[in-house]
Amino acid sequence: MVLPAAAVILGLNVVPMVWAFLLSFRADDLLSPGTWIGLDNYRKLADDPVFRTAVGNTVAYTAMFVPLSIVLGLGIAILLNRDVRFIGLYRTCVFVPFVISEAAEGALFSFVFDRHYGVANTALSAIGIPPQGFLQDPGQAMYTLVAISLWGSIGFCVVVLLAALQDVPPNLVEAARLDGAGRWVVLRHIVLPSIQPVLVFLLVWQTLQAFQLFELVYTTTNGGPLQATAVVVFYVYQQAFQQFNAGYGSAVAYVVALFLFALGTVRLLVRRVRV
Amino acid sequence: MKLLLSLLALLLVVSACSGSGGDTTTDGKIRVVFWHGQNDTSKKVLDTLVAEFNRTHPTIQVESDSGGVLADQMTVKLTAALAAGSYPDVAYLYGSDLASLARSPKVADLTGKVADWNDFWPAERDAAQIDGKIRGVPALVDDLGLVYNKKLFDAAGVAYPNENWSWDDFTAAAKRLTDSAAGTFGTGWPGAANEDTTWRLWPMIWQQGGEILTADHSRTAFDTPAGAKAMGVIGRLASDKSVFVDTDPTSERMNQLFNSGRLGMLIAGPWVLPDLNSAGIDYGVARLPGVNGNHTTIAGPDNWVVFDNGSARTAAATVFATWLADPAQDTRWTGGIDNMPVRQATTKLPGYTDLVKRVAGVQTFVDTLAQAKARPPIPAYPKLSTMVGQAIVSVLLGQSNAEAALHKAAQDGDQALRGS
Repeated sequence: MVLPAAAVILGLNVVPMVWAFLLSFRADDLLSPGTWIGLDNYRKLADDPVFRTAVGNTVAYTAMFVPLSIVLGLGIAILLNRDVRFIGLYRTCVFVPFVISEAAEGALFSFVFDRHYGVANTALSAIGIPPQGFLQDPGQAMYTLVAISLWGSIGFCVVVLLAALQDVPPNLVEAARLDGAGRWVVLRHIVLPSIQPVLVFLLVWQTLQAFQLFELVYTTTNGGPLQATAVVVFYVYQQAFQQFNAGYGSAVAYVVALFLFALGTVRLLVRRVRV
Repeated sequence: MKLLLSLLALLLVVSACSGSGGDTTTDGKIRVVFWHGQNDTSKKVLDTLVAEFNRTHPTIQVESDSGGVLADQMTVKLTAALAAGSYPDVAYLYGSDLASLARSPKVADLTGKVADWNDFWPAERDAAQIDGKIRGVPALVDDLGLVYNKKLFDAAGVAYPNENWSWDDFTAAAKRLTDSAAGTFGTGWPGAANEDTTWRLWPMIWQQGGEILTADHSRTAFDTPAGAKAMGVIGRLASDKSVFVDTDPTSERMNQLFNSGRLGMLIAGPWVLPDLNSAGIDYGVARLPGVNGNHTTIAGPDNWVVFDNGSARTAAATVFATWLADPAQDTRWTGGIDNMPVRQATTKLPGYTDLVKRVAGVQTFVDTLAQAKARPPIPAYPKLSTMVGQAIVSVLLGQSNAEAALHKAAQDGDQALRGS
């Protein structure tokens, strides 16, 4: 009875993982028979300056994206946590960008942030700011990508935090208010502690998502300009499919996967410590 | 109920794993799976040709579709398909990727199987031959020329490009055509650091007698005064701010700008002409600017590649691929998509005269094709292309000067060639 389901899980999850793991020990281009080279790919990884740039870019992106998405998400969730007219419409509007595919987002914002013809620069020049390079400027491209991803995925944080906010015991809040607590005090001492497990979940989840950034980079900057937005998953794709170094790409993917796996277990440990 | 669901799941999994479905169709014909990577008009033209082939070749059944991707993603799709063991019989492949894909023993060797091989232009033959063996049949060919917007030239009071233009004429005209207030640029250049960025550099080096690689393909050969001069042209465009840098990996934005009359001129191939016609732009076509009277251009031939799915299917697929490249079919395929013919015999057919009348300027591209050169068909070419592409983009964005960028590209390129 269990066998068909087990077959599906084994076939679609475990087998590819094992195959990719074995691939990372080979010099293989997926086309001609590869050769076993043991840990050479991993050794090459340690010395690869482009890999280090990719990791640096990914960490920088994560460091900006995760806190911003949680803080802004919480702010918007608090604003949406009330019962006014059209609140359903507002909540839907905030969530809709999350449903749009990243590839469509990338195509859309490539136009919006175009240096010469984009709406963003037109708007900026209307308030007197000179035209910016955005996705074409190596110094600005990463910040622009963070802004685009925030637009796209803040809806998810808002929905999750909204649900958590609605679980905050209202009698606690009322009691605090009666004792004379202001809005900030209520936020710091009652709301935040109650939603703390959800905040930890979002922290880990958003970090995992941030590390897997790919479609946005692929459809906007292609890793450029000049490697400014080359992130690890994009580097894996380039190595495996454009440079025909699938074995090396697999090694990079496994190093990243191990790191993310470690991160996921952090959440479990934190939970255990809390309780 | 649970048993039913799990049986259904198992059935779905098994049917998905059963692969491409066998070598023969239900009525005993040999199957040929054809991935053409085309859509819109191109797809319609190919569908008509495939239907005719199936009618006139009763023992073969060609099943054609785009392969689920467009041509620019076909390399990735084929790599995955070859790794999975479930690949088509004939597919459309970019010329610059043939050498890489030909590393797979499953790419059929067509030496001796293509009739009238010398009827194809030299650049096409060079691009389809890897290590002396023919690994592809030319499917589409283009070469680079200079397409310009007559209205913008008139408005700026600049004389039209002619047969004797030098690259200095080109940069000077680009500067005069640029009007940043009106949002008009002299010219455009792809800026995604991919092959489209790189291949436009090579003609400038060849025109000075330079080469991309050493004769044995072991080292780069463009870090020379010729290379510096070529990169310097790009540097001039960047410092004059007369170039629109298109970071779109498909270079679509550059083409759209040209179609809306915002670019004075474009180094482009015949593929832009049909859209210019429909956009109503009054355009002209000249050959590429040159150096000291040498106007050698670069050709970018794409190929139909045949894969080995067993001897019967390979034989049938070869018949189909070579049939597609015969003059009678070529005139309908390339004429149907308003592109230049892939072989010289087609220029003698009436369809070609119609094409030349319909698409003004296409004759110039055909004329320059005879002396066009092709990129070196080596597996490391994609890596080299990325290195040089990065160098060009750094110059276009003003982040580095021409000599330094060229030098770095040559060093990185040497490393890539050594490593492959």
